[in-house]
Amino acid sequence: MKNLLYKEFRLVINPLFFLITLLGALVLIPQWAYFVAPMYLLFIAVPNIIVTAKTQKDNEFTVLLPVRKSDAVRARVLAIALLQVVQIFVIAIFAMLNIILYHTRNFLIDPNVAYIGCVFAMYGIFNVVFFPMLYKTAYKVGVPLIVAMIFTFAFAAGIEFLVVDVPVAAYILDGISRDALIGQIPVLVCGIAVFILLTWISIRKSSERYGRVDL
Amino acid sequence: MELLRIDNLRKRYSSFELKDVSFSLEAGYIMGFIGPNGAGKTTTLKCMLGLVKLDGGKVQMFGHDFFQNELAYKQLIGVHFGGVDFYPKTQIKTITDVVSRFYENWDNTVYKSYVQRFNLDENKRLSELSGGMKIKYSLALALSHHAKLLILDEPTSGLDPVARNDLLTLFQETIESGEASILFSTHITSDLENCADFITYIENGRIIASCEKDELIASYRLVKGTSAQLPDVKTRLISEKTHAFGFTGLIHTNDLIDSDTVTVEEPSLDDIMIFHAKKENRHEESAL
Repeated sequence: MKNLLYKEFRLVINPLFFLITLLGALVLIPQWAYFVAPMYLLFIAVPNIIVTAKTQKDNEFTVLLPVRKSDAVRARVLAIALLQVVQIFVIAIFAMLNIILYHTRNFLIDPNVAYIGCVFAMYGIFNVVFFPMLYKTAYKVGVPLIVAMIFTFAFAAGIEFLVVDVPVAAYILDGISRDALIGQIPVLVCGIAVFILLTWISIRKSSERYGRVDL
Repeated sequence: MELLRIDNLRKRYSSFELKDVSFSLEAGYIMGFIGPNGAGKTTTLKCMLGLVKLDGGKVQMFGHDFFQNELAYKQLIGVHFGGVDFYPKTQIKTITDVVSRFYENWDNTVYKSYVQRFNLDENKRLSELSGGMKIKYSLALALSHHAKLLILDEPTSGLDPVARNDLLTLFQETIESGEASILFSTHITSDLENCADFITYIENGRIIASCEKDELIASYRLVKGTSAQLPDVKTRLISEKTHAFGFTGLIHTNDLIDSDTVTVEEPSLDDIMIFHAKKENRHEESAL
């Protein structure tokens, strides 16, 4: 797996894609829909990585190496999941800066600890929808991306709705006070757990489907 | 020792079908896998390696089921597929750096010797290499980890005669130890005249013959005669071509009889392929 991940970052995923994670700085925009910031990675980096792999005949090349088809899927999903984690790390830094600099509540969800947990869950939802659909063919990226983005937007919109309209949810998810931030740690832990679980399901389902694809 | 055994490989597409493909290859030999374009050569190789999901059949390598321990057996094989078009804008030294990490027995000295032998410039990007040089690079990758079985799809197409000859010599050197074998598909049968020990001939997804090259050639005869002689042999011919002076046809050696007055010659592999293809075409036309 180490070699396959090395191959992903050396031959398929251009280092430029890591620069896209700097769009996490958008979290510094005051009074904004902060779920938009992590989405740039999904609709810019992810399809470009898949299309780059396709044009470079990466799928065909990889299966000739001493690896299983399922290993190739796992490496691709894990490489993108790693980019997602880097993106969240960058967002977390700018979210911290946002709170320190402005110390003002946002109309929608605040860029707080619960928000970071929700971004983890959002990426998990994207992964569990996108990759299994993609690996039905391993090259048709359009429809899987649209469907996965619809689910991703729906999740983000749902969280924003809860924060604005449901006081109990707002109590759990919103707020930037020290006590609120500490109280949100379980949401972060749950978000990470959802991310790991959904990404694992995504890998299993995608591997199964890729096994049936004729290269 | 049998390095490769394929039993009843089956794969059905909407417009093409591999039908019970079976053959085997012992250590220390070169097997040419021949057949016209679209006969199923590449599909068979892809099925063997798991690139294409099988509908049925078994693939054994080194005496064991290939798919039971794919990782271990892939370490022992070298693979080249025609049309080297992966990572076109990447320097070849970068590709080598990645590929070499996957093989436990990667031998950089051997790799460098091929780089030198093939005059490869490692700083070039793959897209900057000519078609022939791309093939040579792909072969250098396939040959640098002491593979026991080389599975090469159309390795000689696109190479100039000098490079082809050099490559065929290299194939001979590779099997000299008696431990390694080469299975290579080609539609350039002249490549096989000097270097192949065995021939597996596939036509329209079906194996026509898999045996020693000399045995294959000996089992067919090219017959030539006048138009008046044609009716006597026509029913026994695999297929024939008629021309202004008479006909030329292919016949199973066993189907020749003492009373035949036609001229009998030894066919080339090309002749065997051409007349079998003509027979298949005739069947398809009559089916339509």
